[in-house]
Amino acid sequence: MIIKPGSEVKSEETVSDHPLNPNPDSEWCVYFKDNEKLLQIDKDCRRLYPELEFFQKATRFPCERLTNTENGIGALRKRVENCYLESHTVSRSRLGVTKMDTTRHKTGDSRPFHTLGESEEAHWEVVERMLFIYAKLNPGIQYVQGMNELLGPLYFTMASDPNLEWAQHAEADSFYCFTSLMAEVRDNFIKSLDDSICGIGGNMHILMSSLRDSDPAVHQHLLSQHIKPEFFAFRWITLLLSQEFELPDVLRLWDSLFSDSQRFGFLVDVCCAMIRLVRRNVLKNDFASNMKLLQNYPPSTSIEEVIRAAIKSRKP
Amino acid sequence: MESSSNEHIDYVFKVVLIGDCGVGKSSLLLRYSDDFFQESYLCTIGVDLRIRTISVDDKRVKLQMWDTAGQERFKTLCGHYYRGAEAIIIVFDVTSENSFSNVLRWYEEARQLSRQDTVLVLLGNKSDMADSRAVSTERAQSLAASLNIAYFESSAKLCDNVKETFTATTRKMMEAYQKHHRAHLPDDLTNSKSLHMSQPIKSSTSLNCFDCSIM
Repeated sequence: MIIKPGSEVKSEETVSDHPLNPNPDSEWCVYFKDNEKLLQIDKDCRRLYPELEFFQKATRFPCERLTNTENGIGALRKRVENCYLESHTVSRSRLGVTKMDTTRHKTGDSRPFHTLGESEEAHWEVVERMLFIYAKLNPGIQYVQGMNELLGPLYFTMASDPNLEWAQHAEADSFYCFTSLMAEVRDNFIKSLDDSICGIGGNMHILMSSLRDSDPAVHQHLLSQHIKPEFFAFRWITLLLSQEFELPDVLRLWDSLFSDSQRFGFLVDVCCAMIRLVRRNVLKNDFASNMKLLQNYPPSTSIEEVIRAAIKSRKP
Repeated sequence: MESSSNEHIDYVFKVVLIGDCGVGKSSLLLRYSDDFFQESYLCTIGVDLRIRTISVDDKRVKLQMWDTAGQERFKTLCGHYYRGAEAIIIVFDVTSENSFSNVLRWYEEARQLSRQDTVLVLLGNKSDMADSRAVSTERAQSLAASLNIAYFESSAKLCDNVKETFTATTRKMMEAYQKHHRAHLPDDLTNSKSLHMSQPIKSSTSLNCFDCSIM
């Protein structure tokens, strides 16, 4: 699925395929389309958890079939670099001679991260490969920004397992978990479901009605300040709060979220509890301070406190 | 950073940054509001708000800067963000041809969803990366000229021309504001604690524009 066309032994009929083939079924045509997808995933994976060193470090268990230089498949990293080289400045002189600017666009500049050796693979590259394959397997959803933030913690947990035998299979395990997780939350990522009850719009609506029931004053205050759930809860819900807390807290929180029998009802309870825990500030703040507060949830809040408050508010 | 609540404010302006993913919208705002740069920065999901109060021509101006997500997926949310904006800055990356060719799409969307007097500005970011530049200043300038909007070039990384861009944009907003006979906020309003009080006044007009454009 991630192999460059023509690099594998082919049957007679596919041999006639070539990079300029306009046929939409052409493997090359698909290859180039995929590259656009890949570039987006690449951008986002390189900046996954920038405060953690983990994702920039080489994995102990790289995908050998790709990193092995002999069979010539090459890592996705290479494919991305080739994409960057596509743009050349072509200028036509007055005599009609087409001149191609041969100065190669330095990819080094746009890559703030050092690239590892041929046989090595950084953890973010493993995440990138998984997201790319997920996008290819699920053409209806493809890749949406934020999926990286869901896969990141899963992969981190698997890959940092002290049992090396388990850590070795981190890629397969986290891909399986990610696929299962997405089966439950993918509607949040689908644009056409935004206004339906099962999409992100519906979930934000559930959150706001739950807040209205549990804390009418705060709900009314947010309403009067025109603070819409789109401004903060959109990220909270789509990312399962993974950008609101530090990674260890996220892992603790996810344990509770994933063990919830009425998934992801507990997520709504947690979001609601988060707002109620800062209600005193919310009620006295102006619009801008409230936006700041909700978009940068105070790191001093302990995750245990949030979870406790959420459990307490749960309807029996 | 946050101005004290009883400080005199002449204007409250909403500025929205739009453009492709990874062109540096968040970095520009981080640089401008907190004077800080990070090589790699989380991708924005949804929207982020940053505030800065500045002085332009003896006026105190509070800028509410909205940082939006670039990916197509998040476009449906944009209606909420454009609403009531006094300025929209379309950002592209001077090292990315692709982000430049999408400028027109962003422009059309911004025009459609914003008020008539909203100031539009084109901004080419990452000007420090001369080696990998793909879009020349001249090309960007001529595009901006054809759209009849101002063009700026900046580097969030080197803090080059970031402040100047925002100051110039603010000046344009003040001009547009006065031109459309909007008396600026009365003192009693600005002295009160809540910044948001200016919101309903302005957003009601934009709401109408927004609805009209749909019909």
